[in-house]
Amino acid sequence: MARIEQEKPAFTLVEVPEDHSMDAMVLAPPPQPARRRKGDIFRPGNGPLVQFQGVIKKYDGEHRGLDGVSVNINTGEFVFLVGPSGSGKSTFIRLCIRELRPTSGSVIIGGRDLGELRRSKVPYLRRAIGCVFQDFRLLPDRTAAENVAYALQVTGHSRQEVRRSVPAILSLVGLEGKEDRLPREMSGGEQQRVSIARALVNQPRLLIADEPTGNLDPETSLGIMDLLLRINRTGTTVLVATHDQHTVDRMQMRVIRLDQGRIVRDAEGGYHEDPGDTGEIA
Amino acid sequence: MRIGMFFREALRSIRANAAISVAATVTALIAVFILGAFIPSFMYVRSAVDAQKAKVDVDVYISDNASIAQVNELKGRLDTLKTDGTISGFTYVSKDDALKIMRDRLRDPSVLDQLPSNPLPAKFNVQPAEAENANAVVAAIKDDPALDPTEGIVYPQTTADRLLTAAKFVQWAGFALIGILLVAAILLIGNTIRLSIFARRREVEVMRLVGATNWFIRWPFMIEGVICGLAGAVVAVAMLWGIKVGVVDAWASGADTALTKTGSTATTIGFPLLTLVLVGAGAVLGAVGSGITLRRFLRI
Ligand SMILES: Nc1ncnc2c1ncn2[C@@H]1O[C@H](COP(=O)(O)OP(=O)(O)OP(=O)(O)O)[C@@H](O)[C@H]1O
Ligand SMILES: [Mg+2]
Repeated sequence: MARIEQEKPAFTLVEVPEDHSMDAMVLAPPPQPARRRKGDIFRPGNGPLVQFQGVIKKYDGEHRGLDGVSVNINTGEFVFLVGPSGSGKSTFIRLCIRELRPTSGSVIIGGRDLGELRRSKVPYLRRAIGCVFQDFRLLPDRTAAENVAYALQVTGHSRQEVRRSVPAILSLVGLEGKEDRLPREMSGGEQQRVSIARALVNQPRLLIADEPTGNLDPETSLGIMDLLLRINRTGTTVLVATHDQHTVDRMQMRVIRLDQGRIVRDAEGGYHEDPGDTGEIA
Repeated sequence: MRIGMFFREALRSIRANAAISVAATVTALIAVFILGAFIPSFMYVRSAVDAQKAKVDVDVYISDNASIAQVNELKGRLDTLKTDGTISGFTYVSKDDALKIMRDRLRDPSVLDQLPSNPLPAKFNVQPAEAENANAVVAAIKDDPALDPTEGIVYPQTTADRLLTAAKFVQWAGFALIGILLVAAILLIGNTIRLSIFARRREVEVMRLVGATNWFIRWPFMIEGVICGLAGAVVAVAMLWGIKVGVVDAWASGADTALTKTGSTATTIGFPLLTLVLVGAGAVLGAVGSGITLRRFLRI
């Protein structure tokens, strides 16, 4: 089993003295690209980090989840994936971590064609990608802290490293004091934040979040989006699928819009094409 | 380094799925108990049959009219059989010895005093190396002129044949039963562990999705299987020990005089060795059972 070579904690936080709120935590930059982790399966190079080439995904042989999607996402970008319910956002994300395989076309992540990736390498792909799932996917009989710790144990971190990193990341997502709650003892929004903490804790090169603010009040949503933005500023590529029009409008980032499995728009800006647009596609 | 973590994971899983863990343990207990009752019984029967086989001996009666040279020649042929390993040994029983033995056996030896002469022939008592060799002994000496014309060669042919058949049957039936028991035990434990894994199918899926390798997921399950198997085996051994001390040993000491009278030398596996075998079997059953079962769930 591959271990991380570096001995520093998985997640480093620098506290700014004059402010002790969540926002005062600044994420340390992830390891430089030159310093590759052992077991890192991304190929070094300047190509796009995420590349979809004519991807078609049919469920049950005919029902189309994605219907011919070609798109590139470069290292360091912050991208929103929007579109009505059933347009294929989750399908897109599940293809990225090879939870699904395309019916045709290819998905290339970090220079690796996932269609050619051996089954035994898939865990290493998933460690390089932090994923926040729409339905959280927490381990039901583990506490918040243990759920986050599991992601660290998987990558071979020692108990001391786990003890150091987990409380820090949980307080970063605003869950201090709830470390020992089981998922069923937490609200949807709290579970979602555990899911986010787990995705962040391994300092992934690519962070993918499926509806990370779907269960949160507007205020907490803003907090989470701020967090994602700060993570992006440290060099991590971020892809967020969301319905949250308000957030998308506020952030003014690249927006990829899906409808019925096709990309109908790919541009910087708000949720809709222009402020007066209702989002209907002619 | 990671062994500790896998161990903690296994214990957590046993605690979280107490009912299923108990079911797996009880399954292992039953399997090991049956195995533990069967192995010593099988070995005892086999050893008893072997002991009987060793007692199949051949009496070669010598004619009263045979000359000393003829008797020596017969003895020479028996010596040859001994050197080539067909027989393990033979003893000479003279007419006087035969009479003495007869006298010891009779309740009223005085009847023998009324005999005008000793009617009992002398004999060689021959012990074949294997019960199977009795026929070869007979074939080698049946035409010898020194043989007594009426008694000739006497050996319990049917007993020998029956014993041989019984011995083969006991052996093969025993192996077949042990094999069936082992397979059944593995399937039973595997099935119980499948319940446990099925209950946690989603959990295994999540583990895979956050980047756990198959072995990372598998180790705790295998350790869990081994712990349940060992626990079952230990309880089974304790129960077997109780039965041995309380029932078998008591019966054996009661039957002791009878056994020594018939000269039975049948033995069976010693309890410490049996314990070792059973505990090992429990651990292997648990590991193999969960290992096989897991494979189906690790294909996400
Ligand atoms: N396992 C599945 N089997 C069959 N059809 C599926 C499956 N998963 C998704 N679909 C279908 O594929 C299409 C795309 O689904 P997907 O989950 O990607 O949509 P989405 O954009 O994430 O929607 P939402 O915003 O509601 O999460 C939908 O029509 C859905 O019904
Ligand atoms: Mg979705």
